[in-house]
Amino acid sequence: MLQLIGKRLAQLVPTLFFVSVLIFSLQHLMPGDPALVMAGEERDPVVIEQIRKQYGLDQPIPVQYAMWIGKVLAGDLGESMRLKVPVSELVAQKLPVTIQLAVMAMLIALVLGVATGVLSAVKRNSAWDWVVNVVGLAGISTPNFWLGIMMILLFAVHLGWLPASGYVSPFEDLQRSLATTIMPAFVLGTAIAGVIMRHTRSAMIQALDSDYVRTARAKGLSERTVVWKHAMRNALTPVITLGALEFGTLLSGAVLTEQIFSIPGFGKLIVDAVFNRDYAVVQGVVLVTATTYIVLNLLADIGYILANPRLRS
Amino acid sequence: MSEAPILSVEDLAVGFTGPDGRRTRAVDGVSFSVAPGRTLGIVGESGCGKSVTSLAVMGLLPRTGTSVTGRVLFDGRDLLTESERTLRDLRGDRLAMIFQEPMTSLNPSYTIGDQIVEAIVRHRAVGKREAAERAVEMLARVRIPEPARRFHDYPHRLSGGMRQRVMIAMALACEPRLLIADEPTTALDVTIQAQILDLMRALREETGTAVVLITHDLGVVAEVCDDVAVMYAGQVVERAPVEELFRFPQHPYTVGLLGSLPRFDRARGRLAAIEGTVPDMSRPPAGCRFAARCPFRITRCETMPDLVEIGGDRATRCWRAPLEELAA
Repeated sequence: MLQLIGKRLAQLVPTLFFVSVLIFSLQHLMPGDPALVMAGEERDPVVIEQIRKQYGLDQPIPVQYAMWIGKVLAGDLGESMRLKVPVSELVAQKLPVTIQLAVMAMLIALVLGVATGVLSAVKRNSAWDWVVNVVGLAGISTPNFWLGIMMILLFAVHLGWLPASGYVSPFEDLQRSLATTIMPAFVLGTAIAGVIMRHTRSAMIQALDSDYVRTARAKGLSERTVVWKHAMRNALTPVITLGALEFGTLLSGAVLTEQIFSIPGFGKLIVDAVFNRDYAVVQGVVLVTATTYIVLNLLADIGYILANPRLRS
Repeated sequence: MSEAPILSVEDLAVGFTGPDGRRTRAVDGVSFSVAPGRTLGIVGESGCGKSVTSLAVMGLLPRTGTSVTGRVLFDGRDLLTESERTLRDLRGDRLAMIFQEPMTSLNPSYTIGDQIVEAIVRHRAVGKREAAERAVEMLARVRIPEPARRFHDYPHRLSGGMRQRVMIAMALACEPRLLIADEPTTALDVTIQAQILDLMRALREETGTAVVLITHDLGVVAEVCDDVAVMYAGQVVERAPVEELFRFPQHPYTVGLLGSLPRFDRARGRLAAIEGTVPDMSRPPAGCRFAARCPFRITRCETMPDLVEIGGDRATRCWRAPLEELAA
């Protein structure tokens, strides 16, 4: 098992290298000259030239890459040209916000998705199954921003139960923190819950039709043990992988949702950075996101190995 | 039969309604019984209703779209009228079953020890430790080498034959009074088949468990069964003690089945096959179901014959029985 995990870890290196090259080169394909943007109104060629020199923009691209990756490896993601703040500081500020949102959304998605998926597999072809599938499909296909706006209208504007926007850190005030994040987390979670529900349902149906479930019933086990122990354990492995991937997607910035609820997270950070051609921030954020995504993928693989005795030994 | 039967199935009928509303009678008019310590073979080709019959006895058929009628008397009570709760208490305890597919019948995510312990803890008032001791003892009884070590193995570490032994250990862990074995050796190599059959025979002698052995293999029947019920198109067509059946088959279908066995003492030639195919069970013929393929067919066969006792613990569903006079 350790060998298998080691192998997956070794695969990380070329993947991350490739991702870094990609991020770096895409950046240079974007139209617009950052030196010009930074110079602002002042179009003095001397100033522009000085800016180029200061940020190494006058060097050949491979050299620029080498300079950049060298610093990244040392933990220095560069400095925001606009905010004059180290990118790592921005990341440290915004990432926890997005992580909180993603964890809450994932919890909502897992609880809703797995529970409804299992029940609809157990009661397949019943009215319940039908309702769950329709609602699930609606959850998948409803645009996040629309659901978000509707929730703000209902819970913030009409009922006044929740704040419409903003964010409070859970370390400051847990209750208010939950109040500000529950709506965006719900919006993000329901979309994923639909996907998880459908995967859980089909995996459970397969498991419930399997020979080992028949054996479990032949042992006289209660239907609850049969479903939640024997079938579930095997049906959940694909759901683990799916959950990890979806979690990665959540972390890469719930761009629209964060905009709507004015949550100062990763999504908002990257949108602002792209519009302002803040190279260093875009590179840093995308790199952190990609790395997180790849690491989560690895964790999903390890989880899969742990859940599967055939791979464990 | 000397002793009162532990299981007696009377006029069992099972119908399925498909999602398209089409009804199929998978089984009807199935009657047989088996006494403690004896082995009854149920033989027939694929799709004749053997497995459905066994699942109906166990109460393991899906409940939606299925209708089951008749009587299944187990130890004096009719299982078809018992609650699901009572059936669950019986299953795995006094009523056990092993299946055709040892490769997929064990849960891949739990150790074989866990899976046997689960059955014991479910039905006996014992702790996990005691149940584990019992499970190791059962693994030893089904001749699994190094049972205490194997206890911790996951199913994928075991071969098909070993997995079937585990299934047998699990089924017998609570000393059932009846064991239903649905094609237990079909998926195994011939040498392993013989070992498993030997094991089942030995365990039956040790425990006095009644066995219902479902198979399509007449060789297996000759090997281990005391009595045989032959099924065709959802019905029992003949019932007899095993030697009698092989010596004097009393139903044309049985004659055909025996004729299709390869034999070394006859000249090599084409194996005798039964002409024609099994009837469509969503529209079964009104008369004898074998009539269309029967060489002894007469006009009377257009009405359905009953399964009638013909003496010597035998019964057949044929207007023309006894068949000896027709042989010439």
